[in-house]
Amino acid sequence: MKIFKFKLKNKLVFFNALTKTTIVTLLLILVPWIAGIITRQDTDNELVQKLDKVLALIESDGINNFVDQNAELKSFGSYNIIKAEFVSIEQLDVDTLIDEIQFSQRNIEEEIIDYRVLSYSIKKDGKTYLIEIGKSMEDIYKFEQKLKSYAVIFLIIILFLTLIIDLIFIQFLLKPLDKITKKLHNIKDPVNFDYSNIDSQTTDFVYLDQSINALMQKIEKAFINEREYIGNVSHELLTPISIIRTKLDNIMLSKSLSETDMIKIVEAKQTLHRLTNLVRTLLVMSRIENEEYLLNEKVNINQLIDEVINEINDKILFKGLSLERNESKTVFHFTGNKQLLFTMIYNIINNSIRYTEAGSITIISKVSKDSFILNITDTGIGMIPNQTEQIFLRHKSFGQGIDNYGIGLTLTKKIADYHKITISVNSEHKIGTSIILSFPSTKSDKV
Amino acid sequence: MRILIVEDEKDLANEIRDFLVGEQYNCDMAHTGHEASEMIAINPYDFILLDLGLPDYLGLDLLQEVKKYNPESYIIIITARNELEDKIKGLNSGADDYLSKPFSILELLSRIQAISRRKFGYKTSVIQFGDFNLDTIKKTLQYNNQIIELTAKEFKLLNYLVLNKNRVLDRMQLMEHVWGDFFEEDYDSNYIDVHIKNIRKKLLAYDPKQWIKTLRGVGYKFELTD
Repeated sequence: MKIFKFKLKNKLVFFNALTKTTIVTLLLILVPWIAGIITRQDTDNELVQKLDKVLALIESDGINNFVDQNAELKSFGSYNIIKAEFVSIEQLDVDTLIDEIQFSQRNIEEEIIDYRVLSYSIKKDGKTYLIEIGKSMEDIYKFEQKLKSYAVIFLIIILFLTLIIDLIFIQFLLKPLDKITKKLHNIKDPVNFDYSNIDSQTTDFVYLDQSINALMQKIEKAFINEREYIGNVSHELLTPISIIRTKLDNIMLSKSLSETDMIKIVEAKQTLHRLTNLVRTLLVMSRIENEEYLLNEKVNINQLIDEVINEINDKILFKGLSLERNESKTVFHFTGNKQLLFTMIYNIINNSIRYTEAGSITIISKVSKDSFILNITDTGIGMIPNQTEQIFLRHKSFGQGIDNYGIGLTLTKKIADYHKITISVNSEHKIGTSIILSFPSTKSDKV
Repeated sequence: MRILIVEDEKDLANEIRDFLVGEQYNCDMAHTGHEASEMIAINPYDFILLDLGLPDYLGLDLLQEVKKYNPESYIIIITARNELEDKIKGLNSGADDYLSKPFSILELLSRIQAISRRKFGYKTSVIQFGDFNLDTIKKTLQYNNQIIELTAKEFKLLNYLVLNKNRVLDRMQLMEHVWGDFFEEDYDSNYIDVHIKNIRKKLLAYDPKQWIKTLRGVGYKFELTD
């Protein structure tokens, strides 16, 4: 099952909306019901008060004043013209006690009307009379209806108003959190972290922000230390290497040196040279990591490829390989560091030559809408899939009897990354390897 | 010729001095920027080898002082910072050449000689061996006025061998001279053998003498008795 992920802000708004809607729905059901109960109670109280008045009148004026004892129908009735209320007194034949309030329909002048009726029996002069006081329900129903519709409108308005207020408030409240997330999103390098404190009155956020800042500071420090360390170490190593180198050179010049001693010294120099290369490469890599190289030269890549070929062509010839070139005629300019770009292309071609015993090196380039693609293919030993992923890692190479202490490809990858050039590898074991460089083109690069 | 070596590493300065003295140069040494500053103000020098990474002085400031007190002298910058930007900055500030550590002292010598030839106004600088004439300024090789076609790298190699005649040059020194700092691992030095083979072939077409001697496992030596 897929679980959807939401931002805290959205979750809070959603939850709020849900609870509010539930409450409002509940209220919409309850309000008319409660209103009904209250109005009924009011009506009943009114009826009871009126009964008291009627009873008081009977007490003072006597029952006969209402009920004509001589009449055939021993009853009294009174209602107002709009039939909203009525009072009736009639003599009962049976001797029962009645005291109740109920809904009932009455026919008054051929009109059937819903009434709330209070029925009450009294004994007077040995006879039982039933007093009924009614109040028309029509008004009550109308009132209830009105109350219901008002309540609905009112509640819906309240619902929307509170939701909007909530939304604004949550937005405002969580703004610092947004800023913190944004800050974390934008980290590409601890060195570029934005250390400005966020503005918030919420202590939790302030604390969170401060903690992140403090942590980032620690990471940045460790980062810079490591970079500087490599840089300094490399730099410091070159001076002692230089001393040894000069001493060995001087010994070589000595006339009294035997041939075997000379061979030993040359071997020592070779080892020293390996060390020098390692240190120099580390130095360049640490400079790239420190972003010490300016990427501000406009480099003609077509011309740069020519320069590399010019430098490396002898190796291709001496190894008996053929060089095939199928390059774009369109001039492509790329803004970067020429020395580094040269090293990158040189290393790739050099590596192709190194691992190719027979066949060809093919260089293909083409300009597309938003990039310049350079493809360098050899017919060399190739790689098994597992190796393809590892060739750009430090200290991985696949020498088969050939020296394998190159960190040249690691440097190549670093240079490509530094210039935002994507580099990919296609390789088939014993068939060959293709390295594909994709230079992004920006408006300023096009001529 | 008088050379001032400005290098805070005494050991390295001594080695360079020993070598240059052997090559018949007069050498002074300064181990700090202040020492160098004083010496530059007092003495006239033909060459100043200047380490840019002095602990007590900005190398480029020292360069300015040289331009002020020793305007006639030539400056070769030495630094452990193998950077093109430093090189450009140094050359723009008036340095004549640039070497990054570690460098071969033979390379240093060849730079000094090249600057000398350039600056002291030699119109031609022809080295003779047998009936061959090697012109280091025009970069040509002739055999009895007949031009022998050499590639740029072949010429550079032969020139270097001839300049260091009777001296054993190992493959790495040759590689360094021809390829600069590009060359990486020592497997590359096999290419030197191919170049030497080609040069020999071209020389043999005119003269049966083996001018370039192979020292197995070491390198090559150009033999020329005066």
